[in-house]
Amino acid sequence: MVSSRVIRNLKKEFKRSGLAKLGLALVVIILLTAVFAPFVAPHDPTEQRLDQSELPPVGFAETTERTTSQNVDGEIRTVTEEVTIEPDPRFVFGTDGLGRDMFSRVVYGARTSLVVGVLGTLLAASIGVPVGLLAGYHRGRVDDALMRIADVSLAFPSLVLAVALIGLWGRAAVDVPDPFVVAGLAPGMPESFVLPITVVIVVGLVNWVWFARVARGEALSLRGQEYVKASRALGADDNTIIRRHVLPNAVTPIIVLGTVQVAAIILLESSLSFLGFSGTTLSWGFDIAQGRDYVSSGQWWIASIPGIAIMLSVIGINLLGDWLRDALDPGIEGEGGAA
Amino acid sequence: MSFGRFALKRSLQGIGVVWGVITVVFALRFVTPGSPINAVAPLDASQETRAAIAAELGLDQPLYVQYGQYVFNLLQGDMGRSYIKGQEVTTLVFERLPATVELAVAASVVALVLAIPLGVVSATNRNESVDYGATLLSLGGISTPNFWLGIMLILIFAVEFDVFNTSGRGVNVGDVALSLTNAEPFVGTLFAWLAYITLPAIALGTYFMALITRLTRSGMLDELSKGYVQAARAKGLPRTLIRYKHALRNTLIPVITVLGLQLGTLIGGAVITEAVFSWPGLGTLVIESINQRDWPALQGSLIVIGTSFVLVNILVDVVYAYLDPEVVND
Repeated sequence: MVSSRVIRNLKKEFKRSGLAKLGLALVVIILLTAVFAPFVAPHDPTEQRLDQSELPPVGFAETTERTTSQNVDGEIRTVTEEVTIEPDPRFVFGTDGLGRDMFSRVVYGARTSLVVGVLGTLLAASIGVPVGLLAGYHRGRVDDALMRIADVSLAFPSLVLAVALIGLWGRAAVDVPDPFVVAGLAPGMPESFVLPITVVIVVGLVNWVWFARVARGEALSLRGQEYVKASRALGADDNTIIRRHVLPNAVTPIIVLGTVQVAAIILLESSLSFLGFSGTTLSWGFDIAQGRDYVSSGQWWIASIPGIAIMLSVIGINLLGDWLRDALDPGIEGEGGAA
Repeated sequence: MSFGRFALKRSLQGIGVVWGVITVVFALRFVTPGSPINAVAPLDASQETRAAIAAELGLDQPLYVQYGQYVFNLLQGDMGRSYIKGQEVTTLVFERLPATVELAVAASVVALVLAIPLGVVSATNRNESVDYGATLLSLGGISTPNFWLGIMLILIFAVEFDVFNTSGRGVNVGDVALSLTNAEPFVGTLFAWLAYITLPAIALGTYFMALITRLTRSGMLDELSKGYVQAARAKGLPRTLIRYKHALRNTLIPVITVLGLQLGTLIGGAVITEAVFSWPGLGTLVIESINQRDWPALQGSLIVIGTSFVLVNILVDVVYAYLDPEVVND
């Protein structure tokens, strides 16, 4: 499946391309952040401190006008004065409207994004790949039916379909205990991670068709290969041929597509939480939606910082995808990348 | 197969897909928990009231009768009446559609006008600083969530500099065209239109700009390495002629196909861009209808969105077949 030639090409391309190195570095950083979130985050991301709300990030003192009622010589007057809000070094990225630490929220947001991105992609692939392989290998009616289903499925924009399904089915979430916290290694951190299960299912259901298309294309071209014919002549049954000969040879483009899909699903997840169609409140998209209300009053960081986190993650994963594609060259450029 | 037969076959296939779209949208209600009656009936409604409402909405009929009735009405342009807004859904949807189309077209124009020259310049100056700049720009563009970009544009151009409006749709593009013929000052109307549409169009168009830049760049590189370009060079044809007349033309054909396939992303992006800028289009209607369980309005919007996608893709395929006759024989 992974031959030494593949490894050699990957290494060669990695040495040649600075962008591949950047991509891998970004992905590794985000992956470690997500896995070890309770150790990376300095505070509980959900802890509210109303007396320390809207603190700017370190290095950005904010000057705002504050109107207060004061008792001047027995008379109540409203006084507007310029106040400078100094950042607090304990909150590197500042705090949001409820005084929650933005840095810790960004760290925990990485978990939501990556878990939804990876699980959603795996679900989409586990539906799409078998269907696509079977259709492409057998052709005929199964294939026709699949292609029509794919056409109908493609006619609905992923986001619109996902919003409709989640809006109608509800926003279910599962609490997954955080092993580090349960083991007592990270005291004071949230004990469980909220997995927005409806979002995972819906993004999988919405995006399987891309995998089906790529797998079908591969199966169509592989079914005519000599070794497949030989295997059939030797009496192997179709399922064995698909498993032993077709799938292993179709795996490269599927992996490349999978990488791009993780990025696409992260963008989709952030859009869904931004619109309020998610089951968790610890998500970059959700924080951008919260921060949007503060944009006109000057607290720019609440909406900006989570967006930068999304951008860096998606850039990293896309670069990783470019690296795999350039090294393995399965020729599926421009397919299935969109959210 | 002749071109005419290809166009006919593609159109028939399209009708099949549209029928699939209608069926899926209709079926959505039956895989959703909760009865549509809940959206209409008061919370304390008696069984009799609920039964009366069900009868009025036709929900007491067997499934196949409801489906048949829905398709039959749809063929006559009747999508039912909105549960919440009380209007005909057809009227409601076609009131909102122009705003979405206007936004999508404006975004595509922003994208194409910037992306094609950028892709060409990038390809013809391969591995120079302009190429790296364009590559980074397009990488950022495909990786940025458009709703966040929209908020950042609001932050910079509306809050800090106060140049653009951030919510709603002032005058529409039709008003701008009309101002040429009536007493309204043209320039004033044009600016009033631009004040509203510029930011949402950029927010929505950036992803496509990035995507088309990438496609144009790789397509141009591919074409420039082909034999006919070398032959043209050997003949001594001017470089600009080879680049723009020969190579660019052949590059743009696949770009158009990808654009057709990405129309879904464009409409999906429009939904969220509309939410950020309170743009009164189909996207905001979809979200309102979902939150209010307004089934007729939701079904109508989804069918119009799905059908537009199918129609545009048939058009793209037919144009493609016309430009490149080999496709017909595939």
